[in-house]
Amino acid sequence: MPIRFFLFLVPLFLLSFVKLEGIKYTAQRGEIHFKSDAPLELIEAKSKQLKGVIDMEERAFAFSVDMGSFEGFNSPLQKEHFNENYLETKRFKTATFTGKIIEKDDFTKDGNYTIRTKGKLTVHGIAKERIIKSEITTKGGKIMVRSSFTVLLDEHGISIPKIVYQKIAQEIAVDVEAEFSEMKQ
Amino acid sequence: MKKKTAQILFLLAFAPFLRAQSPSFKLCSIEDAYPNAKVELMYEDRNSVIWFGSTQGLFLYDGLDFIPFLKSDTSSQHVRAIYQDKKMTLWVGYEDGTVYQLVGQKLQLWMPEEGLPKMPITGFAEDPEGRLWMSTYGEGVYYSEAGRLYNFNTDDGLLGDDIYVMAQDGLGRIWLGSDGGISICSVKAGKKRVENLTREDGLPDEIVREILADPNGDMWIGTFDEGICRYKTKERRFDFPLKNWMSGTVNCLALFKEKELWIGTEGNGLWRFGLQDGSLRQLTNGRNFEKSKIYDLHRDIEGNIWTVSNTEGISFANRQFEFAQLDFQEIQAVLADRDDQLWIGTPDGLFSKDLKQGENAQFQQHFKGLALNVISLHEDGFGRIWVGTFGSGVLCFDPKNNKLRRITEADGLANNNVLSIAGANGKVWLATLGGATEITAASNLLDGRPLEVRNYHEKDGLSTDFIYKVLIDSKNRTWFATDGQGISLLENGKISNFSTLGHSSSTSKKSPDRGLKAVYSMTEDHDGNLWLSTATDGIFKFDGQGFSHLAMKEGLRDLAITSLVTDAKGQVVIVHQSGVDLLTPSTQHLIYYDKELGLSEIEPHLNATCTDRWGNIWIGVKNGIIKYTPLNEVLEIDPRTRLQSVSVSLLPIDYQSVAKFSHNDNDITFNFIGVWYTDPTSVKYRYKLDGYNADWIPTKDRQANFSQLPPGKYKFMVTSTENDAWLDEKVVSWSFEIMPPIWQRWWFILTCLLMVGGLFYAYLKWRDKRQQRVYLMEKEKVENELAVIKSQINPHFLFNSFNTLIGVIEEDPALAVEYVEQLSDFYRSMLQLRDKEVITLKEEAALVAHYGYLLKKRYGENFNLNVNLNGQKGFIIPLTLQILVENAVKHNVISKLKPLTVNITVEQEDCISVENNLQPKVQPEASTKFGLASLERRYELLGGKAVKVEKTDKHFRVCIPIIG
Repeated sequence: MPIRFFLFLVPLFLLSFVKLEGIKYTAQRGEIHFKSDAPLELIEAKSKQLKGVIDMEERAFAFSVDMGSFEGFNSPLQKEHFNENYLETKRFKTATFTGKIIEKDDFTKDGNYTIRTKGKLTVHGIAKERIIKSEITTKGGKIMVRSSFTVLLDEHGISIPKIVYQKIAQEIAVDVEAEFSEMKQ
Repeated sequence: MKKKTAQILFLLAFAPFLRAQSPSFKLCSIEDAYPNAKVELMYEDRNSVIWFGSTQGLFLYDGLDFIPFLKSDTSSQHVRAIYQDKKMTLWVGYEDGTVYQLVGQKLQLWMPEEGLPKMPITGFAEDPEGRLWMSTYGEGVYYSEAGRLYNFNTDDGLLGDDIYVMAQDGLGRIWLGSDGGISICSVKAGKKRVENLTREDGLPDEIVREILADPNGDMWIGTFDEGICRYKTKERRFDFPLKNWMSGTVNCLALFKEKELWIGTEGNGLWRFGLQDGSLRQLTNGRNFEKSKIYDLHRDIEGNIWTVSNTEGISFANRQFEFAQLDFQEIQAVLADRDDQLWIGTPDGLFSKDLKQGENAQFQQHFKGLALNVISLHEDGFGRIWVGTFGSGVLCFDPKNNKLRRITEADGLANNNVLSIAGANGKVWLATLGGATEITAASNLLDGRPLEVRNYHEKDGLSTDFIYKVLIDSKNRTWFATDGQGISLLENGKISNFSTLGHSSSTSKKSPDRGLKAVYSMTEDHDGNLWLSTATDGIFKFDGQGFSHLAMKEGLRDLAITSLVTDAKGQVVIVHQSGVDLLTPSTQHLIYYDKELGLSEIEPHLNATCTDRWGNIWIGVKNGIIKYTPLNEVLEIDPRTRLQSVSVSLLPIDYQSVAKFSHNDNDITFNFIGVWYTDPTSVKYRYKLDGYNADWIPTKDRQANFSQLPPGKYKFMVTSTENDAWLDEKVVSWSFEIMPPIWQRWWFILTCLLMVGGLFYAYLKWRDKRQQRVYLMEKEKVENELAVIKSQINPHFLFNSFNTLIGVIEEDPALAVEYVEQLSDFYRSMLQLRDKEVITLKEEAALVAHYGYLLKKRYGENFNLNVNLNGQKGFIIPLTLQILVENAVKHNVISKLKPLTVNITVEQEDCISVENNLQPKVQPEASTKFGLASLERRYELLGGKAVKVEKTDKHFRVCIPIIG
């Protein structure tokens, strides 16, 4: 696990968690995928560098992804536009989602759960409060989290030149999949 | 009389005289139809139709039936919140956190991307910016903005996540009641704001179960332990108009603006808190509410108060009317004075009761010894009570010190029978059976000073001395309602009389049949018109100039009216045997009340009415008192007409989305209802199908059926009324169209016309073509004949023939004769056959044989003609074979070395082949090419098979089709 990630999470921990000694789950494997289905062009990319941690006692969580790590664009030019023009990944290196779980269910037990999380989604340096629905499958101490949500570009101050309107949808569909297991202290 | 007094005393001592004055509650039983549905809440939508939420689903109540609206899935049907937004979408929140919208007649699950709560939905609200708010029991409150859902919970500063109640203040802010107090939420520029009110701010109890917005901007708050308080939003502080609350947890509230707050408790029944007099009364009368748990309370647009309780289920009462049964036999006069004393005059005397002391206060009798028959009461400007009696003159006394003065005929009173008393500006007028009396009501009247009395009689200009009612109008003029002679006006000491007879010119048009005779009662409306009631002729309106008449036709249901009073809203209250009606003077709209009063036969006494200092009107009837409260709300006065369903050929359709039907679907049934909760059975309808009915059709049924409707455009219109007059009731309409059958639609007719036209055109074309062909054939034939004749009289042929003949004559005269015979036969046949269209093969063969004979004779061995038709039957164009043989002779060399052979045979049974060996002349004979080409054309025109021509190096062959 890259040290960079922990460095990033330290302030998040301080912000979100009162107690540091709670039972925490970290993402062993995390994938984030987005899709912009515009009339003229379909843009899709994926990153495997999704990090996450859940504090079961506080029912709080933090997710983060390095915006520069997205791969799988149609062309290098598309990637360049994504990084430099729209998301400005050099200025805003990460996108994060931190907050709390609304449901009181104990989903560390085996089973399937639908939960909702309420938190701040920070993309392009702009934080927005969001409620995001997730499907959870717990089996043998491993927690699989799957969720789909949309990001509105203008909510996050991502402006698209008029000419490119036809190429980038105003609403970006995001899919997240991560597997959590208990963090050894 | 003594016996009766004793009886009264007995009753005074042992009977609770005034039973609780309360509206009369009616039950609406949902259990009959849905025995398991436990109703917990109600909601009045924007059309003023009431919906009920139960453990078993959502119901609409139309006044007669509960109509269920159920989810089609298996999730919980337990409704916890109902709301209709400004776009008229009905939202339903359930115990399991699901939210549904009513679309058409179906509940549809709402599926926001963020997912739905898992905890019960406890309320909905819509803020001025159009956000839909949704409170939950366990997850705080959500709001939806631009298709996205956001949440407020304890993390955002809410005092609790279990929201009992959500309300909205005048600024559109959302008030939430939870176990921790009140949280006021709003969203400004995308930022969530929460302001909390707790004990520190003066909230008496942090558990807030109910919040109700007062139209004046304040908020009423019902708490778990500490009763009711009010938050004054302008002053930003709590106040406590209701002190000493002892009845436990408040569950729900309902408000009658500036009049009354109804309080429903968790297990201590239903309470009424008077906002004017500060009284708190439990509802006890008639219904089993004492220990009820009240789930919900609601004030509807008709002025009804609705309750849902564990003991009485759904019940409601019209708040405008309260009835208390009294054990008096005849109540002839009532008066509620400025000290809240209720005075009652009966044939047995004068009684009073302190209204401030609540339900259990008892009546006390006054002046028992005087044996008064009290028929009128009045309070003057000094708070003194004037008591008009039958036969004993008038009494004036001060209730504070019981000082009394009795004034009779002996003191100058016109008559001892005082039917009505009125007063203003230090004067009191008495209406008696012997004229009118004016008394100066000086402050020291009770101190034995001489009286200033002035009487008016017939001799002073009064039309009659029998006066039923005296009225001081808004211009301080005194009016008398007289027996048999209309009304009299006393102004500046002068009397003028008005009756329909005296003003016949202005009234003859309006009321020619009825004249104004005995006037029993009289009131002035807020526009200064006088309304007069008569013994048997209904009501007259006097505008100062002339009279107009209101009777059955105008909607009056009883012509014998005992009292008229104008209420604080300007409505004329009409009291008669059958009930109490409210008349709006400007529109003459009437509303009937009878069962709502709580009694069937009210038997009111003449002018036994009064208006108290709050504007409530008290009406004395045979065995009790009706109290009418003019509510401050703008009440709905018409039923709300709803088109419930439309059925086509007995099958219900979704009429909001379908409006076109085929010609078969022409049996249409409409189900409608006029929602008038106050008295659903009184509703009458009238409907009209525009495009079918010329006039409105009145009915009591809630259904209209039209069968065998012809194709066309229609508009169904229906309206309803709760009284019998049709004025300006709202019309509900639905337009639809029955399509003509396919063969009557314009495009079909047009297509058919085009097709017929096309066929006709094609026929014409065909006929034209055929005619042309016939003409061509004719022409061709003529040309052919001409050519044939030309060729046959061709000098060469004749010359050759004659040459041949010359040779033969000498050698063999017999042969010469035969030759000539053959020649003449040939010519004869040719002349006979050429006119015909076709000839038989046999005839043609004979002709060719003659021709062949002639050629044979000429060319001898050098020419061979073999005709072998095998007896083939059929037809052929005349001279065909002859022309072909002639062609062969014409174009080929015929010599000993190169003999010419022409074979005529039948080929394939449908064709004759004429074949010759090809040995073209070196110098071809000048040819018109007419023969063969003409043949080909003629066969073509006949329309059969074509003539085939084959030419090889050695042979020339022509195939002629046989015509069948």
